[in-house]
Amino acid sequence: MSLRSFLSLLAICSLILMTSCSQSPIFKEHETVFRVGDQQEWASSNWNDDDWQKRLKFVPDGQVFWSRTNIEFLIERESLREYGIMLQVYGEYEVFWDGVLIGKNGNPGQEELLGPEGKLWATFSIPSHLAAKGEHLLALRTSLYHFPDHAGIDVLKIDYYDDLLADTVIKSSYMHLYAGAFLIASFYFLFLYISNKKAYSTLIFSVCCFLICALTVTVFSKDYLPFHYSIHVIRLQFINGSLLGIVFLIPYYFSKQFPFPWRKPSLTLYLIILIVIFILNQHAFNFNTVSMVLCMWIFSFGIVVHGVYKKVKGARMVLMTLLLSMGVFLLTSFVISLYAGLGLILLSMLYLLALQMKTARLAYEDSLVQSTRLKLELLKKNIQPHFLMNTLTSLMDWVEEAPKKGALFIEALAKEFDHFNQIENQKMIPITQEIALCKTHLKIMEYRKEIDYSWEEVGIEPEQKIPPAILHTLLENGITHSLPLEDNSIRFKLIFDSNTECKSYTFLTFAKIANHTTSKEDGTGLKYIKARLTESYQSKWDLISEPTDQGWKNVIKIYS
Amino acid sequence: MKILIVEDESRIAKRIERMTREIYGDTLQSLTHINTLNEALNFIDNNTLDLVLLDLNLNGEDGFDLLTSAVSHSFHTIVISAYKDQAITAFEYGVLDFVPKPFNQNRLEQAFNRMNVRVRTTTQTKYLGVKTRQRIQLIPVEEVIYIKGAGAYTEIFLTDGKKELHDKSLEKLEQLLSSSFERIHKSYLVRISEIKEIKVASGSKYLAELKNGAIIPIGRTKYKDIKARWF
Repeated sequence: MSLRSFLSLLAICSLILMTSCSQSPIFKEHETVFRVGDQQEWASSNWNDDDWQKRLKFVPDGQVFWSRTNIEFLIERESLREYGIMLQVYGEYEVFWDGVLIGKNGNPGQEELLGPEGKLWATFSIPSHLAAKGEHLLALRTSLYHFPDHAGIDVLKIDYYDDLLADTVIKSSYMHLYAGAFLIASFYFLFLYISNKKAYSTLIFSVCCFLICALTVTVFSKDYLPFHYSIHVIRLQFINGSLLGIVFLIPYYFSKQFPFPWRKPSLTLYLIILIVIFILNQHAFNFNTVSMVLCMWIFSFGIVVHGVYKKVKGARMVLMTLLLSMGVFLLTSFVISLYAGLGLILLSMLYLLALQMKTARLAYEDSLVQSTRLKLELLKKNIQPHFLMNTLTSLMDWVEEAPKKGALFIEALAKEFDHFNQIENQKMIPITQEIALCKTHLKIMEYRKEIDYSWEEVGIEPEQKIPPAILHTLLENGITHSLPLEDNSIRFKLIFDSNTECKSYTFLTFAKIANHTTSKEDGTGLKYIKARLTESYQSKWDLISEPTDQGWKNVIKIYS
Repeated sequence: MKILIVEDESRIAKRIERMTREIYGDTLQSLTHINTLNEALNFIDNNTLDLVLLDLNLNGEDGFDLLTSAVSHSFHTIVISAYKDQAITAFEYGVLDFVPKPFNQNRLEQAFNRMNVRVRTTTQTKYLGVKTRQRIQLIPVEEVIYIKGAGAYTEIFLTDGKKELHDKSLEKLEQLLSSSFERIHKSYLVRISEIKEIKVASGSKYLAELKNGAIIPIGRTKYKDIKARWF
C-alpha cells in the first residue's frame, strides 16, 4: 500500500471512530446556586435555597461557601451496580449527596492552616440507597483559598462508578499510546538529525513530535497524578506553551517545504500574533488554545495552497489532510479534533519528509552514476577516436619512415597509458602525478604534430592533490585550439598559488589561438573539468577560461 | 592534378602528401597543405582545384561547415577522418570517398581511383550543396528532377519548379548520384522515375517527356542502353 492511500484510510477510520462515541444521558443537572457561610443544614435536600445566588464572583480569605445542585436521575439504576460522581471543582471541599457526606477532597476552611491537600479531579461513589430514579441533591461545602474568583463546578459527570474509573483509564491509556508514538518518532528523527546536521526538517519534525507528546502527557496525566487546584494554572500554562511551540513549528515546517515570497516577515508576524494570543487573556486558556490552533490552521492552509498553486510535490496531499482535519474539527469536539487534527497534520509532515528523503536518495544515486560516468570519461580519453586514430596514423608513419623514432613514440604512448591506468579509479591524485601525465602527453603530441612543446611549472607543492586529468584536459584543449608561434613552439606554464582563502592553479598557453570566435564556452573538456571539481569540492570552486594577448589562460580556484 | 590537403596534424599531413606524390607522380600540378579552417575556406574560394582531402576535425572544430562549402564546388572531396561514425553523413553530403584513419597508401589510392569510375556505388548522396547569394544551401537529392550540363557548370531542375546552378560538372554529379539517375544525353542527367514516356520525333530523334511536362532529348547511343534496360 502506498503511503498516500494508507494516510487516506487512516483518516477515514479515525473519522468513523470519532462520530460513533455518543450515548443517551442518564441524568439531568439543574442550575447550581451558591451561598457564602457555613451551616450543616444546607446539605439537606429539603432546604429552601430560593434566596441563594446564581453566581459567586469572589470569596475572599478562604471563607467556606456552599453550593447546591439539583440532579435528576432519568433511568432506574441497574441493581448491584453503584453510581459514581466525577467532579472538576476548584477548591477544597466536602461532598454531600441528599444530605449525606459521601466524600472529602482536602480541608475546606482550613486551607491556609493545613496547606494544599486533595486534587482537582475526584470521583466519589453514590450510596445505592440514594440513587433511585428521580430528584437528588448535590451539596458542596467548599473553600477557595487560592483562586477566590473561581467558584463553581467546572465538570460534573455521573455514571456507574466502575465505568467512570475504567473509561478514564482506557481513554488515558490510549492517549498515552498516542503520546508514545510521537515520543518514539521524536527520538528517531532526532537521531536522524544528529547523523545529518543539514536536515533541519527532521529536527523540526522531531521537536514537533516531542511537543505533542509533552502536551498529551500533561493533559492526560490528570487521571493518575493528584494535581492540587492551586497548581492547575501552571499546568495549563505548560500545555499552552507546548501548543504555542507546535502551532508555530507546523507552519514553519510547511514554509520550508513550500517556500513563498515574504517568508521571514510573514513568519515573524505570525509568531507575534501567537505570542499576543498567548499573553493576552492569561486565564482564558480554552479561548487561547482554540485561537492558536485556528491561526495555525489558517496560516498553514495559506502556505499549502500557495504550494499547490506552485505545483510543489506533495502539496496537494498536505492540503487534503488539512481540509480533513478541518472536517474533523467541524464534526466533533475541539479536544478530539485537536489530537486527531495534529495527528493528521504530523502524518502529512511525515509524508513530506519521506518525499524529501526519496529526493535525497535519488540525488545520492545520481551522484554515484555521475562518478561512474566521470570514471568512464577518464577511461575514454585514451580510446576516443580523435586521439587514438590520429596517434595510430602518426605512429604508422613513424614506423614506416623512421622505425627507431617510432619505437620511442610507442614508449611514450605506453607511458601515458600507464599513467591513466594508475589514476582511473581515483577521485584525487597528487599534483606531481598529474604533471607527469601532462608531460608524457606532450611527448606524444610532439611526435604527432611536430611542434616544439615546452612545459614550465612555478610554485608547485608536491603534497597537493587534484581531481585526475583536469590539467590534462586543459592541456589537450590548449594543444587542439592553438597554432604554434613563429619559431614552431607552443609553451605551457602551470602556476600554483595558495593563501588562506583559496588555492589556485593558473594554466597558461603561449601560442596563436586557432579559433577565437568559435571556442565554445562548454566543450566536453570543460564539462568534464567542472563535473570533476563539483564532485570533489561541491560548489567551492571557480574556473575561469579566457584568451590573453599571448594565448589562453585557465584559472582553477579552490576555496577552503 | 591540383590537390589541397586540409589536416591539422603535421605528421599525418606529411604522410598524405608523400603518398599523394607517389600515386600521382608527374601528373601532379600542385599540392597544398593547410591546417586551419579559415585558411582552407579562403583557399578553396580563390583557387581552382581538382581534389580536396579533408579532415573533419580541425583544431577541435566541427568540419561540417567546411565540408558543406567544399561539396558545393566543382572539385571532388575525399574525407580522411578518425571518426568512422561520420562516414554516412559525409557520403550524404556528396563526398567521393571516406578514408578512415589510420590508413595506408593502398586505401588512399583506392579513394583516388574513384575519380575515374563512372558511378559511385556506395552510400547514396542525399544532399547537393548549392551556392546561393550569401550562403550554401543543401538541396535534398529527392527534390531533383533532372540536371542539365551547361559547360563547366550544371543546372539542377527541382520539383518545385526552381532551377539552381551547381559548380560541379555533369560527369562529377553523375559519379555522386545513385543509380536512380540516368545519363540520357551528354547534357542531361535525369531521374528515371520522372520519365513519363519516350517519344520518337522526325529524323529519328528520341525525346523523353517528364511528368512535369518538360521534354528532354535522348542521345542516340544512350537510347539503346535505355531501351535495353527498360524494355
